[in-house]
Amino acid sequence: MASASRSTNREPAFLLTPGLFFLIIAFFFPTFLLLAQSVLTVGPDAGELTLEHYQKAFADSFYAGVAFRTLRLALLITLICLLIGFPLAIIISRASRIVRSLLILMIVLPLMTSVVIRTFGWLVILGQGGVLSWVLQALGLVDGTVSLMRTEAGIVIAMVQVLLPFMVLTTLGNLNQMSPSLEEAARVMGAGFFRSIWHVTLPMSAPGLASGAVLVFALSISSFITPSLVGGVRLPVIASSIYQQMTGSFDWGFGAALSVLLLGATLVLMVPYLIATGRLGGRS
Amino acid sequence: MTAATPGFVKLLSITFVLAIAVYMLVPLIVVIASSLSTSQFLVFPPPGFSLRWYTEVFNSDAYLSAGWTSLKLALFTVAASVALGTPAAIALSRFRFPGRSFLSAIFLSPLLLPSLIFAIGLLIVFSRYGDGPSLTGLVIGHTVITLPYVIRTVSANLIDMDPHLDEAARIMGARWWQRYLLVILPQCRTGMAAGAFFAFNISFDDAVIALFMRAPNVETLPMRIYSTLEFSPDPSVAAVSTIMILLTIFMVLLLDRIFGLSKIA
Repeated sequence: MASASRSTNREPAFLLTPGLFFLIIAFFFPTFLLLAQSVLTVGPDAGELTLEHYQKAFADSFYAGVAFRTLRLALLITLICLLIGFPLAIIISRASRIVRSLLILMIVLPLMTSVVIRTFGWLVILGQGGVLSWVLQALGLVDGTVSLMRTEAGIVIAMVQVLLPFMVLTTLGNLNQMSPSLEEAARVMGAGFFRSIWHVTLPMSAPGLASGAVLVFALSISSFITPSLVGGVRLPVIASSIYQQMTGSFDWGFGAALSVLLLGATLVLMVPYLIATGRLGGRS
Repeated sequence: MTAATPGFVKLLSITFVLAIAVYMLVPLIVVIASSLSTSQFLVFPPPGFSLRWYTEVFNSDAYLSAGWTSLKLALFTVAASVALGTPAAIALSRFRFPGRSFLSAIFLSPLLLPSLIFAIGLLIVFSRYGDGPSLTGLVIGHTVITLPYVIRTVSANLIDMDPHLDEAARIMGARWWQRYLLVILPQCRTGMAAGAFFAFNISFDDAVIALFMRAPNVETLPMRIYSTLEFSPDPSVAAVSTIMILLTIFMVLLLDRIFGLSKIA
């Protein structure tokens, strides 16, 4: 008996060790080095402790502007994803089986396509002489060509398409667990269609909407490809500034400090949410 | 099912869903349309139909070698993440031990952090302790982000499987390797396959980790598409992208056939 229980304890240890070892070396150690890099000097007297990179990030009004733009865009994107994603998820959850699989395909197919390619599509749509311009001209709405490239509106339009699937799928997962008879009960008791959505469906799907919103916001503040291709160099966001520091200016200390600030913003958002939903520590 | 939905709401829903379908799919459709254009500029409507950009792609060494690099990268990533993720998933879903939920959080944590963060971390590691990132470096980076997917799919798969089978094998005197080869791994098969699909798709499509790790002499297809889009997009990028879209459609349909998309959603 004793030997059996010991061997069953040893077995998960054997199974977990390779993956854990890999994550420590390839994930936790690099993240730790990034943290370290952000408080160390670079150059001839490298390796001294310093806060100069953070001072630079906070003193330079340019980066305050970049951070402000990133957060503002992320908020707007999250809000639009909520407004579109919630009704869409409700419709999908009530559709007939065939329609439901078609709609899920419509959400999953773009999601599984590379972000670079989806953004490329948006460049062709939003750019000079692009699809949007052509359609608006054909409808007689504009005279010359229009372009939403290098505008914040263009970034938001493209980013919502990129991130909407996350919102819809998280909300849908939540709606699927909800019993349709609850809403039916509300309707039978005399609530109108919108009242039953407002008083029954919305509160019941609040956890799904909240996790979708947290996910979309977190993905949005760290996104790089879409804002840098649609927005260009004149509308930098945090991720493109970090990229610039790491690959263009080679100021690794400063790039690391900006990354740690982005990491901090993500954790401030994620950790309370994970604790609240009991995904960290508690139930798994 | 539910109480009757008012007629105007139904009409409104249909309009709304169609609008969203256009919005979600148009970016993919315009890429496919541009790849078939005769013009060398990305203008709409395309002036004529031609397949010349596909010929160009298949004669371009740069695209072919980037495609080969992406394929190797994705296959190595699949192998590594399935090999590391499957045992971890078995341990986390079949055994009860102290710290299990903490370890489970540890294994899923790469999903929580922005991937560019640890990509920069890996860049620093490879630059400090080696001669910079290489293809191996990218495989490591991609394995970190695909590992949670394998663990999730295998764990979800094991929940549906009978744990008593393994117990029965143990009682009947099966050795550990017999239990794993004949009972446990066959039970994980579907989850491993689903995890492999996700890992392949994520690795083959990723540009962020690849760009931030900046491995010199390693250029994947998404990296090449990104840098072409930054400077001089032409329809040959659209042709490459269309090939990648077709591959994605194929994989999504296969995934749907084998596991059912609604399960994943």
